[in-house]
Formats: sequence, structure tokens, C-alpha cells
Amino acid sequence: MVALLFILFAGMAIGCAISMVAQRNPLYGAISLIGVFISLACLYVTLAAPFIAAVQVIVYAGAIMVLVVFVIMLLNVEEEEWPTRMRSLVPIAVVLAAVLFAEAAFIIYFVQASPSTPTRNISDVGLTSSIGAGLFTTYLLPFEITSILLLMAVVGAMTLARTGGLLPPRAVVVPGHQVLARDVLDPRAVNDPEPIHARTTAEVEKILGIEGVPHVSDEDLSERSVRIL
Amino acid sequence: MDDLIHVAWLLAGILVAFTVVMTMVAYTVLAERRVLGFIQGRLGPNRVGPGGFLQPLADLLKFIFKEDIVPDKSTRFVYFLAPVIATTAALMTIVVYPFGPEIHLPIINKTIPLVVTRFDVALLYVLGVTSVGVYGIALAGWSSNNKYSLMGGLRSSAQMISYELALGLGLIGVILQSGTLDLYSIVEQQSGHLGVTGWNLIWAQPLGFLIYLIAAIAETNRVPFDLPEAETELVAGFHTEYSAMKFALFFLAEYVNMFTVSMLATTLFLGGWNGPFVHQLPWLGVFYFFGKVILFLFLYIWLRGTLPRFRFDQLMNFGWKFLVPLAIINIFLTATLQWSGALDYVNKFLKTSVGWGG
Amino acid sequence: MTPQLSWYLALSAVLFTIGVVGVLIKRNVISMFMCIELMLNAVNLTFVAFSSFFRDVSGQLFVFIVMTVAAAEAAVGLGIIIAIFRNRESLDVDDASTLRL
Repeated sequence: MVALLFILFAGMAIGCAISMVAQRNPLYGAISLIGVFISLACLYVTLAAPFIAAVQVIVYAGAIMVLVVFVIMLLNVEEEEWPTRMRSLVPIAVVLAAVLFAEAAFIIYFVQASPSTPTRNISDVGLTSSIGAGLFTTYLLPFEITSILLLMAVVGAMTLARTGGLLPPRAVVVPGHQVLARDVLDPRAVNDPEPIHARTTAEVEKILGIEGVPHVSDEDLSERSVRIL
Repeated sequence: MDDLIHVAWLLAGILVAFTVVMTMVAYTVLAERRVLGFIQGRLGPNRVGPGGFLQPLADLLKFIFKEDIVPDKSTRFVYFLAPVIATTAALMTIVVYPFGPEIHLPIINKTIPLVVTRFDVALLYVLGVTSVGVYGIALAGWSSNNKYSLMGGLRSSAQMISYELALGLGLIGVILQSGTLDLYSIVEQQSGHLGVTGWNLIWAQPLGFLIYLIAAIAETNRVPFDLPEAETELVAGFHTEYSAMKFALFFLAEYVNMFTVSMLATTLFLGGWNGPFVHQLPWLGVFYFFGKVILFLFLYIWLRGTLPRFRFDQLMNFGWKFLVPLAIINIFLTATLQWSGALDYVNKFLKTSVGWGG
Repeated sequence: MTPQLSWYLALSAVLFTIGVVGVLIKRNVISMFMCIELMLNAVNLTFVAFSSFFRDVSGQLFVFIVMTVAAAEAAVGLGIIIAIFRNRESLDVDDASTLRL
């Protein structure tokens, strides 16, 4: 019975993984990868690790892949062309992968043949309480360092997303003296009460401090990307 | 052989739970239209049966026979997959809620707890499955090849993942007090005197309950957080381009989500099937449970009829800058009170058993 | 027969090699990133399998930490990808092979 479940979920995992590599559209690849994650979570349940299975679904399938799917949608990623520019790469990749798999099979054979491999019993190490006990006693230092790592990731992501001067001007200025609200051109300046007095787009750029930046023209803007706010 | 019997029991349980939930959801739709009508000073649909009783059947027939329009340039596979993901994720959570205490079945002579399955990490499972439900909306918005759908879908998904965080953090207070993630145990621990005093709502987690309720209403995209799918904004949001049965699936997913969230609130904060005299008459537990769930559904409908809706940036500000810090404060408070023993002192009088495996 | 440890290890090796093939073949930055995530998951499976068969919780704790690191890497990595896209208007790694803008 458990063997049947293993074969089912393993087949699903391998199928979705091959599908992910074979797909040209990255969104289909992302959906296949979600399938891999969910089947791996089911495998973790058969390995008596329910907490890790639930965390896998919440973190990988529910958060990381949502982020990837958002990025794919926002950047409107196109399909890859096939064949790739370096056609010789595909057989080389398959050969290298086969070598890697041969190494792994070699090691697995020795793991299986050695007499000290214990047989499978129902284990209760996967319960939340034992993981919690381990995390807060023996592995407290890695836990705390991981939390600092996450803080670094948050700060890093915010820094990367802050693009200040690279924002293209949204309003095209009709010549003549005009008073523009700052937040028409830069949504982050909502609280800045001082308006911009200008006659041309170039003047606006100079005041905003973004002159010399390559423009994204309006046709490209409406075709390529959609901003949320 | 034992495995097969176990699987057969599970399937029977799933079938019963599914039927009960779907029937109640169908009548929730009817109840919403009627109650909303009364709030707005009119009668709702009352023609199709006595008091509109058969209206869900009429709606079902309408959805089946409506023309199924598929936009020409949409990505076909994802377009068909999105409502499936939404509905599946919504329905998968019903297997962990305890509908009643252990009852004795007369014919087969077995005593079973009224829950489809019990396992160690039930609450995390619920959180995980609701996380996967976000994909239905995001993919629906994108695959419709429609600017408004895309914006509605992205806004809706952004809202859902923001409030998922507040939802999870609000639940940690309950987990700290109960010491377990298993929903059946959490309900068992809430049996107090007369079945009422042990509820987590009043004495244990008032702030947590408020946070959970607000986050849950935002999760299910209901008023006042329903900007991404309101009729007066963005046409109809992510399900603009869906018609007939696929729209029915989204509609169903939204109401099942509402129902699921109400069941979770009942289980964690209102004592689940606990109530007066439930240990003498176990079948009363089922009535108490569904009574409380109906109370929450009425709250949802009441809010829909009464409140205006948030603008999207107000919504995101509220979620990130108010609700998440409040939830963290709740965790600190609960942890401090628990560690100092003050909560144990209170619980001794209110609950018949103390949390933390006691 | 119940699944042996070697079955799980073999599955993990297969997933890892599929991930390696993906990283080598794909040209789109986001697809390469997803293949790296697949490799990380294959390693996670190995850890959990060993933890279950040797009844030691350390494997699962390490998986927990690997997942956290993967989440942090995803956030920062996608931020970098978006920044690259803004500058070059292309998600092709072959176009990003020099440091010139």
C-alpha cells in the first residue's frame, strides 16, 4: 500500500519535473514546479514527516512560487525559442546528467548493500513537538542566524526594488508653463506637497533628477508591463 | 485488508462532509440574497419554492445551461485550470474540521469521532491549502487576456497573500495556549463548565479572534475588502471573462471559502461542538457547531450589507502596518501570560483541562 | 513491499539530475531559477528520507533551515532579476553575459 503511494507520488514528481524542463513557456514551467512541490510534500507525509510536508506546501508552493508567478506575470515573460542558440548544449547536458546519475546510483548501490542500513519503522520524529524541541535547544544558533538571514533578505529585496531615479516620466508635458503634482510622475511622492513648475518634459526630468535615463516609450509601456497601483 | 477498510471509511466520511458542506453552501447563497434584501429594505428571491427554498436548484440549472464563452486569445490550459484550483483548494480543507464529539453509531456498533480525519498538523494543513488557493485567482486574472482581469487578479492575489500572514500570526496565540496543532484536541480543550466557559474567545484570545476575523474576511475577498472583484470596480475583477459553469466554480469557491473560514473560527475560538449538555447528548454537538457557523455566515452577510469597501492602498496599509504588528503584540502578550502562569490560573477555573498537554 | 531507503535516494538523484539538465539547457533566467529550486528540493528529499530511516530529527531540522534559505534566496534573486530586466529589457542570460549594460 505504501509502495503504491510511493510509486504514485514519485511518478508525479518525475513527470512534473520533466515537464518543467521541457516547457518553453515559463508559466507552464512554474505550474509544473508547483506540481513537483506538492507531490514531494505527499512523499514527506509517507516518510512520517507531516510538519515538513505542511511547511513545504506553505513556504514553497504557497509563497515562493506565488512570487515567481507574480514576476512572470508582471514582466510578461515570452516563450523561449527552440532550438536554443547553442544547439550542442542539449546532448552535452544530457550526458553530464547521466554521469551524475551514474555516480549517485553507485553510491545508492553501496548504501543498499551495506548491512547497517536499518529497515523502515514507523517513526515519531516528525511530529511538531520533536522538531520544536530540536529547534529551540540543540539547533538554537542556526535558528537565530536564519532569522537574521531573513532580515537581510527583506532589506535586500527592499533595496533592490527602490529605483528612485530610474522611473520613467509618466506624464507627457504639453509645452507651456504648467504646474504638476509630484505624485503624478512618481507615485511614491504622495506626501510631498511641493509641485513642479515646468514647460517641457526635459525640465521635469531635470527637476526630478532623472535626466539622461533611457525612456520607455508609451507603446512599450502598455504592451509589456502592467503596474499594480 | 485493514487498509482498504480504512480507506473506505475515509471515503465515506469525505462523501458525507462534502454533501453537508455543499448543501449548506448552496443555501448560504440563498440566505445571502434574502438577508441582504431585508437589510436593503426589499424581499430577496422568494418565488421558486416556498420562501425561495428551491432557488439554489434554479441557479444550478441556469449555470448548467448557460452558454460557455471562452475568450479567443486566452491561454487555454491555464484558463481551464484556474477555477479547478480555486475550487479544489477551497474544498480540501473540510476534512479536518470536527463536526461533533464521539458518537455511538447504533447499527454498526462503533464509536467514532465526527471528523473525517485527525492528524497532527491539521492547522498547518489548512493554512497550506489556503495558500495554494491564491493560484486560482492569479492564474484566472492572467489567462483571460484582459487588462482589467489581470489587474483584478494581481490585486486580489496581493491582498490574499498579505492577509494570509496576519491570519497565520493571529492563530499562533491559540496554538500557544492549546499546545497542539490538532483541531480535534483544540476543541476538546475548550469544554468548560456547561460547555460554554471554556471557549477561547472570551477569556483566552479576544484580540486573536479579532485579528483572525478581519484577516479571514480579507482572505475570502468579501466586503469590506472586495475591491478586486466588486461590480462597480474593474468590471468584475479576475472572473470577468468566465461564464456558466466555470464562473459557478469560482462563485462556489468563494462561498466554500467563507464557510471554511467560519468553521475554523468556530473550531478555534468558539469551542467547536461544545455547548450545554453536549456530553450527555453527543448529537447536540453537531447542532451547536452548525449553529455557530451560521452565526458567522450571518456576520459576513451583515457586513456585506452595511459597510463600504476599502480602497486598495488603504487595504494593503491596514494589512501590513496595522494588523501584522497587532498580531505580533498578541503573540508577545499571550506568550508572556502563558510563561508567567497567569493563564493557567485563569484556565483552572474556566476549562476543565489546562492547555499544554495537561 | 515497503519502500526502501534506496528508492527515495534514487528518486532524489533523478530529480537532481533533471534540475541540472534544466539549468544547463534553459536560457530564461526565471526558468533557470526554478530548476535551481528543483535541485534544492531533491536535496530536501534526501534529508527527510535519511531522517525518517535513521529516526533522527536533525535531518528535518536541516530541511527547515534549507527552506528558509531558499525563501530568502528567492526574494533577493527575483529582485535582482527584475532589476536586470529593467536595465536590459531582456530575460535572456546570453544577453547578460558581459558586464556592459
